[in-house]
Amino acid sequence: MASPRIVQQGIKQVKPLMSVDRTEARRRVLNLYKAWYRQIPYVVKDFYLPITVKMGRDKVRELFLKNKHVTDIRIIDMLVIKGQMDLVETANIWKQRNHVMMFFKDTVNPKPKDFLSKFYEGQE
Amino acid sequence: MKGMKVKTDSPVTRKAREGVMEFLLVNHPLDCPICDQGGECDLQDQSMAFGSDRSRFTDNAFTGKRAVEDKNIGPLIKTIMTRCIHCTRCIRFASEVAGVDDLGTSGRGSDMQVGTYVEKMFKSELSGNVIDLCPVGALTSKPYAFTTRPWETRRIESIDVMDAVGSNIVVSMRTNEVMRILPRLNEDINEEWISDKSRFAYDGLKRQRLTTPFVRNNSGELVATDWETALFDIAQRVKDANPATIAGVAGGQADLEAMVCLKDMINRLGSEVLCTEEAFPMINSGTDFRSNYVMNTTIAGIEESDLVFLVGTNPRLEGSLVNARIRKSWVHNEMCVVLLGAPVDLSYDYQYLGDSFSVLKEIADGSHPIAKALADADKPMIILGSDAIQHNNGSLILDTVKRIAKNTKKSLNHPDWKVFNVLHRNASQVGALDMGYKPGMDSLKCDKPSLLFLLGADADKLNNDDLHGNAGVIYIGSHGDAGAQMADVVLPAAAYTEKDAMYVNTEGRAQVGRQAVSPPGMARHDWKIIRALSEILGVSLPYDKLSDVRGRLAEISPTFDRPGRVEETGFDNVSDDVTIDKITHTGATAPVVPALLKLRDFYMTDPISRSSLTMAKCVQAYDEAEANPYSKPEAI
Repeated sequence: MASPRIVQQGIKQVKPLMSVDRTEARRRVLNLYKAWYRQIPYVVKDFYLPITVKMGRDKVRELFLKNKHVTDIRIIDMLVIKGQMDLVETANIWKQRNHVMMFFKDTVNPKPKDFLSKFYEGQE
Repeated sequence: MKGMKVKTDSPVTRKAREGVMEFLLVNHPLDCPICDQGGECDLQDQSMAFGSDRSRFTDNAFTGKRAVEDKNIGPLIKTIMTRCIHCTRCIRFASEVAGVDDLGTSGRGSDMQVGTYVEKMFKSELSGNVIDLCPVGALTSKPYAFTTRPWETRRIESIDVMDAVGSNIVVSMRTNEVMRILPRLNEDINEEWISDKSRFAYDGLKRQRLTTPFVRNNSGELVATDWETALFDIAQRVKDANPATIAGVAGGQADLEAMVCLKDMINRLGSEVLCTEEAFPMINSGTDFRSNYVMNTTIAGIEESDLVFLVGTNPRLEGSLVNARIRKSWVHNEMCVVLLGAPVDLSYDYQYLGDSFSVLKEIADGSHPIAKALADADKPMIILGSDAIQHNNGSLILDTVKRIAKNTKKSLNHPDWKVFNVLHRNASQVGALDMGYKPGMDSLKCDKPSLLFLLGADADKLNNDDLHGNAGVIYIGSHGDAGAQMADVVLPAAAYTEKDAMYVNTEGRAQVGRQAVSPPGMARHDWKIIRALSEILGVSLPYDKLSDVRGRLAEISPTFDRPGRVEETGFDNVSDDVTIDKITHTGATAPVVPALLKLRDFYMTDPISRSSLTMAKCVQAYDEAEANPYSKPEAI
């Protein structure tokens, strides 16, 4: 009898990373967001960044919202862990100025999209 | 014998093969590491498969292995005759396929030598094929010597554009450079051969290239600039020009994609003046029916024919592989060849009718014996060279040949057999006519265009008197040749190895060539240049991708949508009856002769081969060979 086993496999309980339910995952995200939000003035000051605190906070908000479509609790947890690590690295000034500014990608030229600019660039 | 069993893999056979290998290697040098055939050598493969793991060859007397003097047989083929294993494939190719009995053997046994007896050039337009045939490194390519190993290169399948045959080729590429060009098997077109121009002109892709746009300044000099400036300069010229007299000319190597973009752009600007460099008389139904201007019987169809009537063409130099096919049929099928034109050396015998137009007229009137021969033939073919109908009397010649074809068809046993064929010289011609370009530049000269777009048009058939007073000329092409010289704006484009492009050969067969290397410098793909320009001019073409352009091509003609296939032409009976334009020329007395007469003329015919050092060396070697008293002069 193969079918009950397949069903069993389908409903197998996955091992949680940290959070056991959505509420807990959400709380972790909000906590991380708050921590970043509070850290931003210090980041701007410590790294002597050419941005305002508002711009920094907007960027944090933007980066959090970039992952708003994620529903898998384990992925949310993993993103939180990575965000936490990033925060620690930033707060302890293990990063350098350009690493923080990489969030803004201000030196990256956008790839040409329309035919003519692609033609001038010589790209496909 | 009946009931005999042939064992190909028994221990005894293997032992026998090992023995043969040992004998072959006794006199073969062990220079594989410096041999150009290394990696694609039949002897190497055989030795790996069947050879012994050690040699019993001990040179007790220290006499050395057999050594043979290298022969100088021209600038294309390098000979290291010590490596020769006397398979005589090159001799057989030369005498059977190429029809040039220059190679042979002298001596017997281990003293046998393959060569030309006396030192002379291997004068054949197909000579390069012996390089492919040679199983060892005795005959290798001189321009390719010591450049790459076969495992280092990428092979890209492409189409040759040096003539209208559309030979299938493989482009070997390394580090964004074309290293060599080899034939690709296609039984319907080139079989396994290609002409020397297709094979060796590739070094012309690195010389005389346009790598940046140019705009002519006030003092008349072409100054290098960037794309934006060049395109805006053109936009200004288009604004100043009279839209109805903006003209476009497609050159001999233009691809379908570029031609359709140019046509669509110029049509959108409000002009209909689009033509090809190569003329084709617009008599009767002109180019309205495809059967009027393609090789209707196809190249492979030549083998079915029993009588070929060549009019004003030298197929050996205008379409070398068509000639190879005629020769093949002449050797194996007892085909008769009749030639009206210059008495050129075609590598086979033919009945020569002279070069006078009056003979053609007699055949059309039925008073010449050839008219009867054509009527009696089972499957006669008339091949008209496009070169013979370039001048003013072309329409009369074409009309007479069409009349002969019509008369011949009356007594034909095979209703489906097409008699009339055109052998074109340019890779772009049939495609251009298919999509509605007007052949020849007479109409353009009448219109006095106020702005002229040249799409790789380098035949130098136009001069400034043909244009409106201060007309601008815009050249889109790959090489700094005649076209770029007369241009006010030069836009650098890709050569045939640098783009995914389609070409239609003289049979009407559309074929796709693949991009092997990227265009040099700021050069761009031809169709993209026109697409970008159209956007600047405010008549944006709706093609962003190559597939869009191909879709547009398929809209124009289904033949463009079926690459590799040749569609049978229809309406050839109707096409004779339709009359659009009456013939105006009457007194044709000029001889019906093609332009390419000797092998010397063959090597440099287009921008690529004109900038090729190898081709220049061939011309030089030919002149030296002419001075050689042992060299057999060509028939003419």
